[in-house]
Formats: sequence, structure tokens, C-alpha cells
Amino acid sequence: MIVRGMRHLIRAWRGGELGLLGFSLALAVAIVSGIAGFSDRLSRGMEQQSHHFLAADRVLKTSRTVPDVWLSTAKDFGLRTAKLASFQSMVYAGDDAMQLASIKAVSDDYPLLGNVGVSVELFGAADMRSSGPKSGELWMDSRLYALLDLPVGGEAAVGEKSFVATQALISEPDQGNMNEMLAPRGMINFADLAATGVVQPGSLVQYRYLFAGTEEQLARFEQWLEPQLEEGQRWQDVRDGQPAMAATLKRAEGFLLLAASLGVALAGAAIALAARRYGERNTDNVAIMKALGASRRQVLSHYVTQLTLLCAAAILVGGTAGYGLQWALFASLKEFISVDIPVASWRPLIVGAVTAFACTAVFAMPPVFALSKVSPLRVLRRSDEDSSAGLLASALIGVGGLGLLMWWYSDDVFMSAAVLLATLATGVLASALVLFAISFARRSFLERAAGALRIALAAIYRRRVGNAFQVASFALSLMVLSSLGLLRTSLLEDWQLQLPADAPNHFLINIQSSEIAALESFFKQNALKDAGLFPMVRGRLTHIDGQNVSDIKDIEASSGGINRELNLSWAKDLPDDNSLVSGSWWQDLAPSNSAGGDIVPVSVELELAEKLHLKLGSALSFNIGGQELEAQVSSIRRLDWSSMRPNFYFMFPPQSLEVYAGSYITSFYLPADKKALLSDLLRQFPTLTLIEIDGVILQMKAVVSQVSTAIGLVLVLIVVCALLVGVANVLASLDSRLHENAILRTLGASKKLIIRGLMLEFAAVGLLSGLIAAAGSNIALSVLQYWVLDMDVTLHAIVFVFAPVIGVLTMCSLAWLLCRQLVTQPPLVVLRQTR
Amino acid sequence: MIRVNNLCKTVVTGGQQLDILKGISFEIKAGESVAIVGASGAGKSTLLGLLAGLDNASSGDIYLHGKNISVMDEDRRAALRARHVGFVFQSFQLLPGMTALENVMLPLELAGRPDPVGEAKQYLDKVGLAERGGHYPRVLSGGEQQRVALARAFAVEPDILFADEPTGNLDEHTGQRIVDLLFALNSQSQTTLVLVTHEMNLAERCDRILIMHDGQLREESVVSSAI
Repeated sequence: MIVRGMRHLIRAWRGGELGLLGFSLALAVAIVSGIAGFSDRLSRGMEQQSHHFLAADRVLKTSRTVPDVWLSTAKDFGLRTAKLASFQSMVYAGDDAMQLASIKAVSDDYPLLGNVGVSVELFGAADMRSSGPKSGELWMDSRLYALLDLPVGGEAAVGEKSFVATQALISEPDQGNMNEMLAPRGMINFADLAATGVVQPGSLVQYRYLFAGTEEQLARFEQWLEPQLEEGQRWQDVRDGQPAMAATLKRAEGFLLLAASLGVALAGAAIALAARRYGERNTDNVAIMKALGASRRQVLSHYVTQLTLLCAAAILVGGTAGYGLQWALFASLKEFISVDIPVASWRPLIVGAVTAFACTAVFAMPPVFALSKVSPLRVLRRSDEDSSAGLLASALIGVGGLGLLMWWYSDDVFMSAAVLLATLATGVLASALVLFAISFARRSFLERAAGALRIALAAIYRRRVGNAFQVASFALSLMVLSSLGLLRTSLLEDWQLQLPADAPNHFLINIQSSEIAALESFFKQNALKDAGLFPMVRGRLTHIDGQNVSDIKDIEASSGGINRELNLSWAKDLPDDNSLVSGSWWQDLAPSNSAGGDIVPVSVELELAEKLHLKLGSALSFNIGGQELEAQVSSIRRLDWSSMRPNFYFMFPPQSLEVYAGSYITSFYLPADKKALLSDLLRQFPTLTLIEIDGVILQMKAVVSQVSTAIGLVLVLIVVCALLVGVANVLASLDSRLHENAILRTLGASKKLIIRGLMLEFAAVGLLSGLIAAAGSNIALSVLQYWVLDMDVTLHAIVFVFAPVIGVLTMCSLAWLLCRQLVTQPPLVVLRQTR
Repeated sequence: MIRVNNLCKTVVTGGQQLDILKGISFEIKAGESVAIVGASGAGKSTLLGLLAGLDNASSGDIYLHGKNISVMDEDRRAALRARHVGFVFQSFQLLPGMTALENVMLPLELAGRPDPVGEAKQYLDKVGLAERGGHYPRVLSGGEQQRVALARAFAVEPDILFADEPTGNLDEHTGQRIVDLLFALNSQSQTTLVLVTHEMNLAERCDRILIMHDGQLREESVVSSAI
């Protein structure tokens, strides 16, 4: 049966009707499998990368050493292990230079994942090393060198042991912990730890034991270890070390998935149009087959087998092309993706295959089912069967199927429903508008029109139902293109707004009020731009609505606000880059709503509020330097973590925290060529803590530009899809046009007249499609911006110019390219072929 | 072979009822060749469509090969056609995406014959187109296309052959050659032939002529006596 089916498929392919259908199917598979594969591998790669932020797959944090048997057991389970101890210690250089620093003593196997970046120049470019310092070596960060006024290669001592400071420490894989970034850092070999004499019983040391292996090995070891863990020992899983970057990539991934869904929608429209033409061109064949004795079942089986085999071929070709697309996407992002991308899995191909079969079932099968109903009497008496019959049912099946596919891809009911509703609205609006416009044009102009215009109007009216479908599908493709184009611009603008060229790339904390004037003067002297000074007090959230936070079981363990000390701040006015989601700022609080007595109002960041299930009016207790502070949530704020400005989870009114001893924080932009100023800054303000995030910002900017390249690549595919819809649109009516125009030419119509009529007709289709697409894309974009992407809604009037122009140009060009045979083939040949 | 009792066909067109066939009855014996002639619009093609089970009658019965096809559904009628009926059409009705050989193979495949290729080649040879099996209809002349159609019709060795204006799209000379071939093949295979035509000289080559006029069989004549 398959061999026979193949034979039939080859025959049908030679007949030329399957080319567009097969190509559209293969394109749908390529887009979906390519993008699914890309995002699948990128997610897995990022997960691996996030393991690098831990320098391991799992970490056991403890304040004291663990029994040796734990490590030997881990090795028995097949895990690799390393250990490190971190503590604060004075580092001495020369006779009188000394500085408190955070020292990390690492074993030879450290890091298990990722690399340590070092340089022989202060603040220089990192040279990546797979292990830490050897015994006798001390690696210090550039700040510590500056504070100690020591050159690289100089001698320094930690406790009782002298070291040669051989390298400037630029980056550590596990430096994500902000607390560790605050103090200047140094790294020594674990073997030298005892000789320093710094770690004594009772010393404040944190030990970290690193483990790496397969998920199964880790799970088995965790199962063994867990019952033995004591208070103060934490088994740490992978947590994303860079939320801003993750958010950016997640947004890009969401965009790509959306683009894939819309690509499939367009490919689906092309498939539906191509299948419709395939059905029409096979109507006579089916009548002949039936006259020769084929049953309805045989006809169905013949065409279903043909489509199934075509689908399989499309999966093969599209899957290969999808792999190529994955490769191209990774190639365009290669500078950003520093981790090894895992090998491609079968999942994207399965997604592509399901897409192909679903598209075939919902878009291509309805015309084939209609074929099985063709009357064999057609062989004797050709009747113009109503080609619009079943159009609505087919369209509904197609749209429903598409909705399910989108839901499956995005796992987001809301986004799928929004896109689908926009699609449906466009379809219905387009069809209604076209039918109205055609009737209006016929009533108003047909009698008075002459020449090409009359031919065009008559042709449009004759094919009004088909034209309505064509305009709807082409309008949809233009709408998708303009929506994605605008969205891309909007996303990039959004990112670029968040990351202007002079985005702060260094943070300074621990600024005392006495240092503010001198610091501002330093900034001014060196023409540095700061983000303003924000007051800050360290405190811990202890109770929510009277319940101890450690007893609240359903709060996500990952909630950043409950397990550590937080930076609390106060401000009279709402900071510029914050926006209120609910509640009111201090000035607008009604007296009855403002917390009275000793209870102060507090504004909470939105995501933290959601994680901690906080609402307006929730009662919070804070411990600030041993003193209790009672607060009540008076507002919830959305803030932009990507802004690189100081941001705070909790903000209070000025008078409520001013009594606590606090300090200030600021961020500022330092160009790369002024990095040496940091040494001067730290010498002048030795108590300040400097945090360098310029590397992260550079990485984020690279992501933005490279993600934009990847999106551009996907947009090219969408353009191909839109063109396919255009081609399918033009081809849909080619056969009947051939016949009609052959008759017109036989009756004496000139080629010029026919071409003009044709161009007018397609220009009208393009113009209407463009106008509808412009309206539709503005609506769709507003919905996406407001509800899905959390962006400000903006209307884009320019699309009302671009979309119609592109519509007219595309339709006319395609009509010219594809319909030339209307005037080049001799009328007699055409009439013979088309009867 | 074919028996028709009080056959009527009525269609509604433009809101009006139109009687195309008005109670026709006749019988065609196995091996007979019968021409149905009449003016354009007389109902010839409608009658042919009903006889071949391509359409449903409004009333009356048609017995084909002893079976009442008026009570059969479309699939059963198709199965009957696959086993017992061959067709030749005015406009050849070859499938454009298939070669001449593949066109001839089609009914053989539908009938589930074991060697469609061999049998199709044999019939293409009989119509003198053995060398053109790989050609598509578009590169064949009208006469050649009709010869392929003849090969296709006879390949399944039907009991009944329906021919609808088989020379209607051909010039006189080619038409004559096709008719000769049709009757030669018919006589070889002893097939019952039902031929719809408006050409009396073609009709006269049949054993009997049925004349259609205004939806009725006005005259049934045996050719020899008519002549």
C-alpha cells in the first residue's frame, strides 16, 4: 500500500499541485523544530551554565567541617568533590598596609564547573583557569591590590603565612553571592589554610563542599546525605545566578516561540490555500476515478495516503532544515553562548512532526474530504460546484487546530487565546469588509467602469468568496509580519532604554553620610555620572501577619526576602524607575490607611510580595540591628531590576528608618578607559565597598544585540511564510483566470488590458489586506504589550502606510511573476487544457 | 444486460421543475451495440449517466448485469462499475498528472488486478501506442488521447462499455479511425456497447438505435430495418 501510495505521490508531485503544499508543510516543520530545538538546547545550556555559577552541581554549605566519610561516600557514588573555606581576615603588605578581606581557601579540584578568571594587570582582561592558586600563591582582586598599594607579584601575608600575590583575581564562577562581592577578595590554596593560623576553634568560617556528577548520582547521594544534615548545613541546588540576564533571555525565548506560533499560523494559511487548490485541481480526477469504479473509501484512502506520505517527506526535509535553523541561530549567538550547548534531542523533531500532522489534518484534510463527495457525473456534465461550500467549517477547524498547537508550544493559554482571537477577528473582519467593499464597488462602479477597471471589478465580484478568504489570509500574514516587526523594534527599544550606553556599571555601598560631599566632589572632578545616593539599613524580615517566616511552609524556599539580611531603604518620593501596582505612596495615604502608632507603612516589590503572599495591609515585622520594627504593607511596586540602579525590596517613609544607623548606596557609570580611577577612589575612600558589574552589563548588551540577530533570522522565515501565503493566494485562482482570460483574448482583449485588469484586482486585494493588517497588528500588539509582555502600550500609525504599500507591492509582484502565462500561453492551448 | 423500467429524471432549476427523462423503458441484451441519438438537450447524456450509475434517477428502475442499481448507494454502484463497466468520453478524461500507461493502469488498480502494468501495456499495444506509454496526455494528440482512453476502457475487459460522443472532439478522419478501433475492440471482446452520439453515420454502425426526443424514447429501431 505504501509503495502504491509512493507511486501516487510521485505522480501527483509531477502534476505540480503538491509542490506548494509540501513546501508549506516543510516550512512549518522547519520553523517549529528549529525554534523548539534552539530554545530547548539553550535552556539546557543555560541550566548547565547556571551550574557554573555554583562552580558545581550541588553545594553543601556548613559552618564546620563535615566527616571525611561524607566525601568518600560521595566519591563512591561517582561524584567529583572539592572543598573551600571562606572567612574574613586581615591581609598585610609591607610594613604598615593592611586590609580586611574575604579570603577563600580552595582545594586543588576547585572549581568543579566553570573557570577562575585572573590577570597580571589590575582590572585587566581575564585569563580563564580551571583551578585555583597553588600552595604559596595568593590571588587578590584588583581592589585589594589597590587598597594595599601592592603590585602584582608582590608579597602579602594572610595571618601567619606569607604568600606571593601572583595574579589579580578578576572573576570566580561562584561569585554570585552579593555578600562575598562586598569585601575585597583573596584566594589561597586549601593546603595553606592551617599555616595561616587564622582558623581557630570558634572562628567564623563558612565551609562549602562542592559536588558534581550526573543527576542520578547526585540524587542518590542526596538521599543518603539528607537524613544526616544538621541545623546550619544547607544542601544547595542550582539557582539562577543572574536574574536580569535570565529575564532578558526568557523574554527573547518567549518572542521566538510566539514567532514560531505565528509562523505556523502563516504556513497553515498557505497549506489551507494550497490544499484548496489541490482539491480543486483534483475534482475532475476524482470524478474520473469514481466513474472508473473507485469507491468513496478508495478515493479517501488514495488522497489520505498521498497526504500522509507528503507529510512524512515534509517532516524529513523540514526537520533537516530546522536543524539548519538551530545551527544558524546558535551561530548568530555564538559570542554570547560561552557554555557548551548540549547535543540536539529528538524532541524538536517530534514537535515538528506533530505540527506537520496537525497542519495536514486541520488545513489540508478538509478539501480532501470534500473531494470524496465529488459526483462522478462530472465526467459527463461539468458543473460549477460551489467552491465556497464548507469554507467556514474548514476555517473553523483550521483556527481551532492552530489554537491547540499554539497552546502546546507556548504552554500559555492566555497568549495563545490572544493570538487566536486576533487571528479570528482579522479573518471575520477581513471577510466582512471585503464582501461589503466588493458589493459596494459593484453597485457603484461596475456599470460606469470601462476597460481594465471593469475587468478587475467583474473578476473580483465573481470570486468574492475566494477573494474574502484570500484577503483574510494575506491580511493575517501582513499582520503577523508588522506585529513581529513592531514588537521586535519595541523589545529592542525597551532593552536599549534599560541599558543606555552610560548605564551604571559599578555600585558603591557602605557610604557614610560624612563621606557624601567628598564622594560627590570625586565624581564631579572625574566627570563620572552617578545614579544618586540612596540611604540603606540592613534588616531581616522575621514575621508576616504575626507568623514567624521560618514556620510558613508554603512560602517558596527561594524567596529572596526571608533567608538573609535585606537592604531596607526610605524615600520621600517614589523612585523614578518604580511604579505602583496597588496601594498609595506615603503622601496619598488616607489617615485611616496609614499605619498608626508604632506601625509604619512599607512599600513592597511586586515579585517578592507574590512569593511571600503579601497583600495591602499585611503586617510585617523586621529586625534591624536587634530592634523590632512593625510595618504594614501600604503599596506594592513594580521595579526594573535591569536598570542597574539601586533597587530595594522594601521601602519606608523617611522618618521611620532615619533613627537606625545606616549608610548610603549609589551606582555610577565608569568607562572602560577610566578603570584605573578605581584605585584612586579606593585609596581615597578605603571604607567604601565597590562592586563591579561592568562585565555583566557588557554581557547583557551582547545578549541584546545577538538576540536581535536571532530574532531577525526568525523574521526572515516569517517573511518567507508570508510570501508563501501570497503565492498560494495568487495560485488559488490561477486556473480559473487562465480559462477566463483565454476567452477574453479570443474575443479580442489585448494583453495590456488583461494585465492591467489583473494588477488592479491584486492591488485591491493587497490594499485591503494591508489596511486590515495595520488595524489588526495595532490591536494585537497592544494586547501583547499590555497583558503579556508588561510593556507600555503604544500605537503605530506608520503601519497604516507600510502595510498597504507592502500588500499592494507584494500581491502585484507575485501576480506578475505567477500569472504571466495568462498572456503568454496561446488561448487555444489554454482552452484545450482547461476545457 | 441492461433493463430500464419507467425511468424518470427531474431537476429543479431556477425554482422550476424540469423533467429531463419522462418514463423511459427499454432493454439491451448482452453483446448488443446500441446507439442513443438525439438533439442537443434531448437527455442523452443524462440517460447515459443514469445507466452507468453516475447519477440517481428520480424514479424507475435500472438493472445492470441483473442488479437493480437504483437501490444501490454510490459506493456499491462504483464497485459494480469497477467490475463490469468501461467508459469512453468525448473529452477523453485522462488524468493529466499520469502518463498514458498510468492512465490505463488506473482502472486495473481500482479493480485490484494482479498485474496492472502488464495488462495496461498489452492494451496500449492493441491501440497502437505501445511506444508512448511514458508520455503525458498534454503531449499526445486528440486522437492519441482517445486511443489511450479506449485502452483504459477495454483494459478491465468490461461487460458493458459506455461511450459518450467518442468522436466529438476529433476531426473526421481521426474520428473515423477511433470509431473503427472502438468497434474492432468491441467485437473482439464481445462487450455490450452503449453509444451516445448525435452522428447518425456513427449510430448506424450499432445493432440498434434509440432516439431520444424531449426526454422520451420516441423510437426504437433495429438498424437493419431502419436502413
